[in-house]
Amino acid sequence: MDVNFSQDKDLATDFLQNFVDGNGEAKYMNILQDVANRKIKAIQIDIEDLFDYKDLDEEFVGRVTENTRRYVDIFADAIDELIPEPTEALQDDDHDILMTQRAEEGNENADGTDPRQRMPPEIKRFYEVYIRASAKGQPFTIREVRASNIGQLVKISGIVTRCSDVKPLMKVAVYTCEECGFEIYQEVTARVFMPLFECPSKRCNVNRAKGNLILQLRASKFLKFQEAKLQELSEHVPKGHIPRTMTVHFRGELTRKVSPGDVVELSGIFLPIPYTGFRAMRAGLVADTYLEAMSISHFKKKYEEYELKGDEEEQIARLSEDGDIYNKLARSLAPEIFGHEDIKKALLLLLVGAPHRKLKDGMKIRGDLHICLMGDPGVAKSQLLKHIINVAPRGVYTTGKGSSGVGLTAAVQKDPVTNEMVLEGGALVLADMGICAIDEFDKMDESDRTAIHEVMEQQTVSIAKAGITTSLNARTAVLAAANPAWGRYDLRRTPAENINLPPALLSRFDLLWLILDKADMDNDLEMARHVVYVHQKRESPALGFAPLEASVLRAYISAARKLSPSVPRELEEYIATAYSSIRQEEAKSSSPHSYTTVRTLLSILRISAALARLRFSETVAQSDVDEALRLMQMSKFSLYSDERQRSGLDAISDIYSILRDEAARANKMDVSYAQALNRISRMGYTEAQLKECLEEYAALNVWQIHPNTFDIRFIDA
Amino acid sequence: MVGRPYDCLANPLGAVRFSFEKAVSSGSDPASFDRNDWGVADLFREFLFDNDGLNQVPMLTPSTVKWVQPNSLVRFRGMIQDMLGNEFYVGAYKSNDTWNTNKFTDVSQYPMGTSSHTRIWERRLLYCVPVPGLNSWADATSDGVVNTYATSASREKRQRDNCSVSDEVEMQDSNNAIPDSPSAKKMRDVESLPQENMTDCGMIMVPDFDRNNFPCLVKIYDTPESDLKLNDVLEFIGVLTFDTDVKNGEHELENCFDQEELVNLPPSKVPRLHCLVHRKLSPIDMILRSPTIEPKPHLMKEIRESLLRHLTVVLGDDDLAANFILLHLLSKVHIRVDSIAVGKLSLNLTCFDKSSISVFGNRINDAVKNLLPFSQCIPLTVEFLNTASLAPVKDYQTNRLVPGALQCAEGSHFTIDETQLQSGTLNSNGIENTRLLKDLMEFQKLEYDFKYYKMQMDTDVQILILSEGKSNILPADIVIPFHPSSVGPTTVVDEQTLNAWRWYLATARSLPHTIGEDMQKVVEDDMVAARQADRSLGTEDFNRWLTMGRLMGVSFGETCLSHEHWQMVKEMERLRKERLK
Repeated sequence: MDVNFSQDKDLATDFLQNFVDGNGEAKYMNILQDVANRKIKAIQIDIEDLFDYKDLDEEFVGRVTENTRRYVDIFADAIDELIPEPTEALQDDDHDILMTQRAEEGNENADGTDPRQRMPPEIKRFYEVYIRASAKGQPFTIREVRASNIGQLVKISGIVTRCSDVKPLMKVAVYTCEECGFEIYQEVTARVFMPLFECPSKRCNVNRAKGNLILQLRASKFLKFQEAKLQELSEHVPKGHIPRTMTVHFRGELTRKVSPGDVVELSGIFLPIPYTGFRAMRAGLVADTYLEAMSISHFKKKYEEYELKGDEEEQIARLSEDGDIYNKLARSLAPEIFGHEDIKKALLLLLVGAPHRKLKDGMKIRGDLHICLMGDPGVAKSQLLKHIINVAPRGVYTTGKGSSGVGLTAAVQKDPVTNEMVLEGGALVLADMGICAIDEFDKMDESDRTAIHEVMEQQTVSIAKAGITTSLNARTAVLAAANPAWGRYDLRRTPAENINLPPALLSRFDLLWLILDKADMDNDLEMARHVVYVHQKRESPALGFAPLEASVLRAYISAARKLSPSVPRELEEYIATAYSSIRQEEAKSSSPHSYTTVRTLLSILRISAALARLRFSETVAQSDVDEALRLMQMSKFSLYSDERQRSGLDAISDIYSILRDEAARANKMDVSYAQALNRISRMGYTEAQLKECLEEYAALNVWQIHPNTFDIRFIDA
Repeated sequence: MVGRPYDCLANPLGAVRFSFEKAVSSGSDPASFDRNDWGVADLFREFLFDNDGLNQVPMLTPSTVKWVQPNSLVRFRGMIQDMLGNEFYVGAYKSNDTWNTNKFTDVSQYPMGTSSHTRIWERRLLYCVPVPGLNSWADATSDGVVNTYATSASREKRQRDNCSVSDEVEMQDSNNAIPDSPSAKKMRDVESLPQENMTDCGMIMVPDFDRNNFPCLVKIYDTPESDLKLNDVLEFIGVLTFDTDVKNGEHELENCFDQEELVNLPPSKVPRLHCLVHRKLSPIDMILRSPTIEPKPHLMKEIRESLLRHLTVVLGDDDLAANFILLHLLSKVHIRVDSIAVGKLSLNLTCFDKSSISVFGNRINDAVKNLLPFSQCIPLTVEFLNTASLAPVKDYQTNRLVPGALQCAEGSHFTIDETQLQSGTLNSNGIENTRLLKDLMEFQKLEYDFKYYKMQMDTDVQILILSEGKSNILPADIVIPFHPSSVGPTTVVDEQTLNAWRWYLATARSLPHTIGEDMQKVVEDDMVAARQADRSLGTEDFNRWLTMGRLMGVSFGETCLSHEHWQMVKEMERLRKERLK
């Protein structure tokens, strides 16, 4: 274990001088020049660069990570020799003046055999050296750091729970002797040190003067020092255990970088606190340990800043190749909730969202989708909400009843200490750039609900109270869940009566779903089977597919959110006709049950854009618009399905009339299969129903079906 | 101890050193001993369990702690209330060319000098407390176990030992004689708060150690982390250290945050135990004089009958309520699927009024107390909800988990008396507490508050609610109006019968149970038919029926659901429905 440190110092010098980064720059020499010019103070040496440096043997890197504290000093020594002359004129500060003075004095008193009189290199340094762990690789959790890691460079993640004030820490104590006037230096390595009282210099020794030493605070070197407590993240704590904590020491430039509540990743050296004095003699066996921080990086939880981990990129690329990704992702949302596929698709689109648009005149168009789920009690609405919040990197769950208007938006409060008015963000503000799920939306007071109007369209919260008028950003997607007006959906009443929310609010939701609990024997048996299975086999029945993990889902969605797809010119016409036909249909019907406004058009665009994002495409395709129209239609049908049945048309004949109209409009005798599928899916029918219809009417000789392409040709009667 | 070069009881560290030297001399490298055992556990296991040494080991209690010698072998029964992380120590060091170990001690036996050959090892710290709500019959610390302690301790010590034991035995007698005697009842009436639920008021005579708050800092070696979970009930056997002066001069090390556990858990208040052997305690282990009965169906049936008779008398001849209570007492979360805790069966007895609660409330409490090892009673008032801290909260000032009233061992029983609830305003704490209670009932989970985030911990508690009308704050699985017909005096039950009942409940709870293929069809059909008839039935109802079916089966000692038991469950549900009308 005999390591030749001077040899390693040469290696370090060589590395610092000759390392060339990806851009062909001499990275560390540039840094050193900046340091010499007093632009920066910290020199961070990346372990990764050591790995990449071609002339270095692996063992050296190993030694650096195993015994980091020592190598920080070795690198500092190497830097001492390498530091270039400043290239810019510098204002001499106190430190420099002191240094020149010392240099002169050093020449005068040339009996420098006494080690205490030799100036420690530490006092001359005006920079700090850090060795940063590799960014690659998973960080440790706190409980994974073991006794065997002592002295090593480790990377850990956690949440900061406490921070001390920043205090000065003495690095080198400087004394002057009353008798001989020498400067005596004492390097401080521990938290506590024993001050010197007698001058150890040769002259005093010889004269037996026992010169009195006076501590020179101005000449001594201090470092900023801060202590913090880091706690394990909840997801790293094994079931049935308590999160562990670790003490972290920040020095110099790294102080004031964290505050309680921050989720951080630290690299640092895991060290025992050396015992001094009485405790060392008693050999109290307990060793306190701490992490001496070397670098800090904050975790960001927003989608936009989500960093993909290792293999996730690859996984996403593979998934995006999969043609069925839309269905697969949708099914993986709340896999334990049976069915509701269209609703899950809508929720997936809510997670993905559309890009925000800012027009030239400054108007903003929101990209967030708002969805309202309405339904009988006990149809797993709340579970869906909670699941979505879990998947979203930033989500707030609240209930309408439990939160007042102030609790949702923002409150002006008087700070008890300073008596100043301060703004406190509510749930919607906290969910900025995320998702806010509001359960029991219908139970909310009317006055509270008005606050939401602004948030849902303008995406801001305005406050005008007690001397504070301001707008806070609340760019959040609202996911609401509500019960029908009389607790259960009353089929004898109209949907409008059942819904019990003002139209102004309803029109702000892009999609509205009604989930009914229908008296269906098969469903009941399914439910009974499930419950019995759970009790019998002590596990959930198999799902029939492997749901994607929440982390994969999150990564995929965050990757998709980076795109902002545009609508190509040729599609504009298509969307415009689709919109106007919805308007016309509504005008035709005697009792319109929906309010098709410009908002609807924007909704179509938003949903289409979200779909394009899911395909990782920069342009919206016609299929996206069709799926968007289909979803909107399905959401409408979930509300008004009973009326359709009353009109006497079954699905098959309805599809027939749709196709007939399509052919008549184009004034042609044939309709291509793709076209037909487009039309009917927009009306909320499935491909299976279309096929059934095609077969049935072909048998009646109404039309002919092309055997390969399934294109339709009407037989003119 | 003939044939042993060391005395495991009085000098366990000697035994540790002896085995260490043996291991080193046989060629093992001391460096490889980190988180490894060199045979100490086996040595003590043999001594304790094979050679019946366990009974000679004194139980650590507030009274025994005064005379037990430091560095001797003791045992401690408790629940893991908090985990303080790990601690690094110099595990082995070389002095004068021989390796020495510091395992299982706080201070080194010999001065270590400045040996450069040291190995740093780690151990884990567990903060253990007596199980919350421990009932007197299950409290081994009040038992006369200590009186078998007979080693070569000094004469004087022996005398003190004997006298304290005799004191205890006396206390024990007065306490345990007749569980339902008026005096005992009066004593229990006094305890209104759950924290005070532990009996033996007269025991508090030690100034330093509070009878109800006698924690112990257990230091765990070698055991894998996953073995010991929060809220587990265990018996630790290990070396007691009680060294005070090592902690002096603590403040010379000026930490920004104080040395938390040392300052907040001074060794004069919290003894340290270096654990050599530990074992998990099941409810059966809590029965001190457990009858050794085979769980045979006919025997189970017999005990079931007598217990049901007893419960019926306690409940004023309300046969149906007694049946439900029996199932309730047997319930246990046996598996979690998705978010559902399968097997829980909380019960809400309604129709109590001021007069009936005073009679039956206490009767039910006493009955539960005598049957289950851990039980607590919470009177629900607006004030209690607004002020109590139900969930444990992490205090970052002291770096401790402050226990909440609901932090308890697995299998604990809570009786929540809602009849005392008056109308009033809840503050935010009160709302939070009701939410906690609701979550506990619904999901059998308790949220621990770590300030920066919350962590849900799985729990397994039985909750019985006594209320005037159906409780909306605490939605129970089963709501049944309580209809007593007579207030007959409860019979005095002898200890042996009680033990049989305790044994029956503990055994039946842990029996496995399945549903056969043929029964599966019957059950499914019944459910579909029921749902066709009544749309309001949901998965919760189906879950409840199956849970009841299971409990009915195990209450007869059966491991498979039979037709007969399923019919009984349906009949119980029918009768209950009728009462609700």
